[in-house]
Amino acid sequence: MIKLRNIDRYFDSKFQRTFVLKGVDLDVEQGEFVSIMGPSGAGKSTLLNIIGLLDEPNAGEYYLLGDPAFQLKEKKKVQYHRSHIGFIFQAFHLIDELNVYENIETPLIYRNVKTKERKALVADLLDRFNMVAKKDLFPSQLSGGQQQLVAVARAIVGNPKLLLADEPTGNLHSEQGEMIMKLLKKLNEEGMTIIQVTHNEAFANYGSRIVKLVDGLIQEDYQVKK
Amino acid sequence: MILKVVTRNLQKHPFLNLIKVIGLSLALSGIVFIVLFLKSELSYDKYFKNAERIYRYSITDSGFFGGRHFARIINPVYIPDLKEAISEIENFVRLRPVRGGLMKYGDRYYGVNQAFECDSTFFQVFDAEILVGDKNSVLENPASMVVTESFARKVFGDSNPVGEILTIPPGQYYGQAQDFTIQGIIKDFPSNSHFHPDFLATPVQDQLRTGWAWTYLLLTKNASPENVKAGIANFFKNNTESDSNEIKTQFHLQKLTDIHLNSHKLREIEPNGYLRNIYVLAIAAIILLLIAISNFANLSLGMSGFSSKYLFVNKILGSSKHSVLNYFFIEGLFIVLATILLVLLISFPVNSIIYRVYGLNLLSNNLLLLFLIFLIFSVVTLLFGLMPVLRSVFLSIRNEIQKNTSSVLNNGKISRTLIVFQYGFSIALIIAVIVITKQTKYALNSSLGVKEDNVICLESVHASLQQKFGVLKEELLKYNSFESVSAMMEPPGGEANDMFAFEMEGYQSDKENEEFDGIGVFPCDYSFATIFNLQFLSGQNFSEKNTDVEGSGEYIINEAAMFRLHYSNPDDIVGKEFKLIFSTLGSGIEIPGGKIIGVVKDFHLKSLKSIVEPLVLFKREKLWLINFVISYKPGLQEQALNDINTVWNSLFPGYPFQYEHVGAMYKKVYKSELLQARLLSVFTIIALFICSMGLFGMALITTQRRIKEIGVRKVNGARVAEIITLLNKDYVLWVALAFIIASPVAWVAMNKWLENFAYKTSLSWWIFAVAGILAMSIALLTVSIQSWKAAARNPVEALRYE
Repeated sequence: MIKLRNIDRYFDSKFQRTFVLKGVDLDVEQGEFVSIMGPSGAGKSTLLNIIGLLDEPNAGEYYLLGDPAFQLKEKKKVQYHRSHIGFIFQAFHLIDELNVYENIETPLIYRNVKTKERKALVADLLDRFNMVAKKDLFPSQLSGGQQQLVAVARAIVGNPKLLLADEPTGNLHSEQGEMIMKLLKKLNEEGMTIIQVTHNEAFANYGSRIVKLVDGLIQEDYQVKK
Repeated sequence: MILKVVTRNLQKHPFLNLIKVIGLSLALSGIVFIVLFLKSELSYDKYFKNAERIYRYSITDSGFFGGRHFARIINPVYIPDLKEAISEIENFVRLRPVRGGLMKYGDRYYGVNQAFECDSTFFQVFDAEILVGDKNSVLENPASMVVTESFARKVFGDSNPVGEILTIPPGQYYGQAQDFTIQGIIKDFPSNSHFHPDFLATPVQDQLRTGWAWTYLLLTKNASPENVKAGIANFFKNNTESDSNEIKTQFHLQKLTDIHLNSHKLREIEPNGYLRNIYVLAIAAIILLLIAISNFANLSLGMSGFSSKYLFVNKILGSSKHSVLNYFFIEGLFIVLATILLVLLISFPVNSIIYRVYGLNLLSNNLLLLFLIFLIFSVVTLLFGLMPVLRSVFLSIRNEIQKNTSSVLNNGKISRTLIVFQYGFSIALIIAVIVITKQTKYALNSSLGVKEDNVICLESVHASLQQKFGVLKEELLKYNSFESVSAMMEPPGGEANDMFAFEMEGYQSDKENEEFDGIGVFPCDYSFATIFNLQFLSGQNFSEKNTDVEGSGEYIINEAAMFRLHYSNPDDIVGKEFKLIFSTLGSGIEIPGGKIIGVVKDFHLKSLKSIVEPLVLFKREKLWLINFVISYKPGLQEQALNDINTVWNSLFPGYPFQYEHVGAMYKKVYKSELLQARLLSVFTIIALFICSMGLFGMALITTQRRIKEIGVRKVNGARVAEIITLLNKDYVLWVALAFIIASPVAWVAMNKWLENFAYKTSLSWWIFAVAGILAMSIALLTVSIQSWKAAARNPVEALRYE
């Protein structure tokens, strides 16, 4: 599903080139749940952003669902964001001006889903996440765990093939974090491909495979023992 | 959904958005009224169907009043022949002013502001709207009259005036009473007409042969005015007995629609407008527009940071650039719509004030124009206001991705330019207001009798009252509330155009004056110099009687006349023998010869725009003393007015008592400047207000952005004063820069403006200093509120997160 070949990402400053990623090769198959780990500054988020088409590599090739993603035009990228990729962030990144219901609904609007269908899909998710009573609240009125729950709901409402999570539990206390991880695991079991960045060893083990990144290089890549 | 976010976002920053809306509304209101006023000024007389073909005819001749250009012509007896002789003249109409200012109906007198005796062809040239009567026949017979609606109401109330008889009472200009029969009623002439007669009448006898008349020619279609002028010259050649090569008369045709803005001749029917004012106002409108838009742009730029997270998240969720555009467009649209709503709310009361004060109903019949102004304003605002925002937003979304934190927008350069630009214009406006106000004040204070503020004038009193001036004066001076009573030929602010020939011992004409060597004259009562405090450079005032025997006549000249008579020391010319010669034969008027007994400093009877002409003051009894002036003792105004009323009613029962303060009369002379000063002050206040609002908003945004920095500095030991200095430093620099740019521009512009005056105040340095300091203090005051708030905050609050 994802094929990265020799990916470089660097920043040029006056006198030197600082590499964030250097020669990264990575393959992710459909249905995997990959946890990317590593110390701060190792390039985890950058890698995730490249995979999510939010950033572009300076060199190397990237194939997403068989398409050469490094050649995609802006318009095509928008299409991918609309239908194939969902995001979750450490800082939740809900839209403050929209309430819970509207936040979840947003991606559907961009996919031109009809109002009736949207209602049904969002209502389904609200039900599943036990948030029906909170659908009219705004993000600032929710706890962190609840906000991330909404963010997850928003990310999966369009039924994407790939879910990218950038430290989804970073701003949550452990109990809430566990709840989110259980949810992700369940989604993975239902068939969704998930890549997450995390610092937390325990949460990394919810996944099926761990990639360890140090200073822009992949140091370890192994399956989690069940 | 965008709509929802936009409204919620607007609600989240009500104050900043209010600033945007108020700024735009004030500017738009200003622009609306300027445009409507300009439209009214530019549309003068265009409503006549034949406007493009009507020309006003006038002549100049170096042998006639020294070549002065009058708007009307004398003895227009030949005009009908002219029409016969030149085929390109389709029709003509002569308008002879009805003088005396009074009409009699029954045994009551009614004041008339303006009225004409005219040819029966009036309606064939000017298609004025007639309400009662038939256009073609209403003026057919001699002594027929049409009155305007409002004049009819004034005299006749609700009863039908047709068939009634109005009488011009006998007086100075009319030997005997003349009766006119009202045949029809016309609509009042609209405000954008260059004349507003109360009535039009065909003469009883053929009076249009002599005297002065404004003369209009209706040319045939496609006729060339140049040809017609040549034709007129030819006509004169063939019909004058004198040697045809000797004719030096020049003929002028002025297009009807050019009269209001481009004709500044002597004896216009009404004071005209100036093209210069149109430019000043148009520039003011453009400045307002630019300031408002740059302010809007600046605030939008500052506020775009607030929605950057929304835009970022949306991008991840799959929104396109298109929807980002949409978002800002809708947000802008909201602001613009709110603005228009507010403008409509402001406009109606403002319009009614303008209508009350200036008699101009600017909003009526201008719906389409109004709509157009709104449309253009909206489009321009949206376009220019959003341009910088969009640019920076697209940049910032990229930033956002890389930093993943709420972005720090670096819009410094654009904001700085915009603020410098706004303040530059504001400073220039302040300078303009100060200069115009200063000059107008100077002009008013130099005018006759304005400074003392205790002189009232009874303008153009009826001839039968003029005869009794002596009695009136005697009666009034019995009361102790009066200082002085005098009379003069021209009212304050009027034009002293008359010139007489003269004889003087040891004087020889210059070459240029050989043909007609005349000097400006001014008949007055002996107390004229006293009442207006004229300053004597040499010699003395008139003796206290108005008649002198031949040989002991008295003349007082002004400084200009002294130079005109080739003297430079006032003491030398006093005592020289002098005599004015009144040349109209058969008038029986003799001005006693005598001596120049005094020289006075030049005084300003007319506007300061024209140079003071040489003038000889001489006394007359019962003749040419048309305007009475009365000064009362300071503080006794009420008592004095009561006393005049008593005297007036006992001496002249039946005649209305009308007076005006001399100051008010001169204010009319400088009406256009006063209006300009007032409008510009309003615009300056609006501009300053918008600028401060904008700056306030900017300061709010900047300090919010720098909260963390301020916190860190404070933790490291900065004091409140130091933080405020740090925050204010930039703004001070910007305003200073604006001042440096604006000052020379304003200096050049105001110098140009002052050129309209023959006598002007100086462009002192303090004007610029005041403008700069004013702008700086307003800016500092505005910014410091924010700076102080930010600086006084507990740094822990700012640094708690992260």
